[in-house]
Amino acid sequence: MSSSLLHPPAHLSPSVALQLSQLAPSLLRNAPSSITSYSLSSLWAPAESPELWTTYENLMLSCLRTGDEQSAHLCLERLTERFGAENERVMALRGLFQEATAQDDAALKQVLGEYETILAKDPGNMPVSKRRIVVLKSLNKTIEAITALNQFLDASPTDAEAWAELADLYVSQGMYPQGIFALEEVLLITPNAWNIHARLGEVLYMAASTNDSGSDKYLAESMRRFCRSIELCDDYLRGYYGLKLTTGRLITNPPQASRQSKSDTGLPPPDIKTVERLNEAATSKLAEIIRRNASGEAGWQGYDEAEIIAAKELLDRQSAPIIR
Amino acid sequence: MAQVPVQTIHRDPQLFYWILIPITVVMILTGVLRHYATVLMASTPKKQELPAIREQRSLLRGINLRVNAHNLSPSSFETRKAYLVNAYENGAFLKEPEKKGQAAPNPMTDPAAMEGMMGMMKGNMAMIVPQTLIMGWINAFFSGFVIIKLPFPLTIKFKSMLQAGVATRDMDPQWMSSISWYVLCIFGLQSVFNYLLGSDNAASQMQQQMGQMAPGAGAQMFGPGVDPDKQFRGEAENLAVLAHQYTLEGVEERLLQSVKV
Repeated sequence: MSSSLLHPPAHLSPSVALQLSQLAPSLLRNAPSSITSYSLSSLWAPAESPELWTTYENLMLSCLRTGDEQSAHLCLERLTERFGAENERVMALRGLFQEATAQDDAALKQVLGEYETILAKDPGNMPVSKRRIVVLKSLNKTIEAITALNQFLDASPTDAEAWAELADLYVSQGMYPQGIFALEEVLLITPNAWNIHARLGEVLYMAASTNDSGSDKYLAESMRRFCRSIELCDDYLRGYYGLKLTTGRLITNPPQASRQSKSDTGLPPPDIKTVERLNEAATSKLAEIIRRNASGEAGWQGYDEAEIIAAKELLDRQSAPIIR
Repeated sequence: MAQVPVQTIHRDPQLFYWILIPITVVMILTGVLRHYATVLMASTPKKQELPAIREQRSLLRGINLRVNAHNLSPSSFETRKAYLVNAYENGAFLKEPEKKGQAAPNPMTDPAAMEGMMGMMKGNMAMIVPQTLIMGWINAFFSGFVIIKLPFPLTIKFKSMLQAGVATRDMDPQWMSSISWYVLCIFGLQSVFNYLLGSDNAASQMQQQMGQMAPGAGAQMFGPGVDPDKQFRGEAENLAVLAHQYTLEGVEERLLQSVKV
């Protein structure tokens, strides 16, 4: 169990996070509270390992998620004792703790003010400037958060996390071209991230659904992005789901060839036969994934339950007219 | 053939207790001490200012674009290329835009570079000073002692290695002098330090030697004495001549060929 404490806990399901934080009291009792590196006893004590402090950090995040503020505070105290209150990461974690224990917006605003004082003193403090952006976001100041993120990315344009966050903010505001740009930047940093390819496909699909002037172009690129994500990750449910959606739409309203002759992407519109074959492949692959997942075959169990249900629903919706 | 008579030297057993063991113990203790001295003296890496971070990461962004351009559609690639090439050539990302075009500062006068060199000096001093001291100590007190007989035969070639400080021509190479024991300790105590101090201890000399031979690639890229403006110009040129290819071209056919349902 403690091995999952060495990974950032953002992806953990609520039940696992609860389990981890319930372990916290015993872990905190057993783990060494601090390691003095200049005493004689350290010759015999086990050597200090980076894993210990990663564990403290992740345990703190899990505890904050589940509301165990006492344990979280203890973790924070020990981290502060080891690395000093001036450490950038510890400063960000302290801020995170204050955010999590803030009762209302006024308290959050106070935390925001603290961040701004820190940043005025040291504008190069990356963890704290990220926290500031998150507080802005949770205070529903989306526009300010976007501005702050843009400033952040001007100074640090190789931060994939920040670009992805920016893309999410833009998409939430309906600014799809900007969102697409930000996701493309993420892809430049992590070229083989199939989830980002699929996410870009989703945003392109959303962009295609809203405006009609360039929708054909967006739709074709969206389909190709989903293709790429499947190419990078076999049996990728989200990729196949998106592929089925996009090809379905391309079949029902095919792109006009006359307007498409010179599209922005530089690629010709997809051949209708290819689209149909892709649609068939996606349908059968989705059915296969659902079937194998339901029958409990080994190696097919990692899928998210909600995604499986959504895929099933999509297949049912599409197949209903054929049965009638 | 007549058997060569085995050389026997009558040694005082006290030699063993008062030379061999003290040398070993002193060596181990110095290693431990050196570890903690290095830990204490280690200067924390200096925090970079925001403009310096911006300069480095903007260059990395251009490199990322060049390496991973195949993920972008031609139009988005062209836009980014135009922006970055223009900004690189104007020096928009430079830490000190007003110094554009001047020669790179002399690394000896740059305080940031001096810091790094001082760190290296400190590491070297922590190695050299105690070793010189111990060597002097052994030379002063124990030079010329033959302290131990190795339990296995050796050829004559080992004589110079094992009998440093003992100028006896006919002595069997199995006999070992105190200075040679010291040299053996320097190289042989590695695993003892690993056990005592953990595997990444500062007492190990191998690590220091490795570090001197291959400084990190990242340090070279943004190291002192490198003119960032030149780097930006080089990168702008690399970007400008890049032949762009798009991965999504023909991805449908590739996928249809590979997917087996």
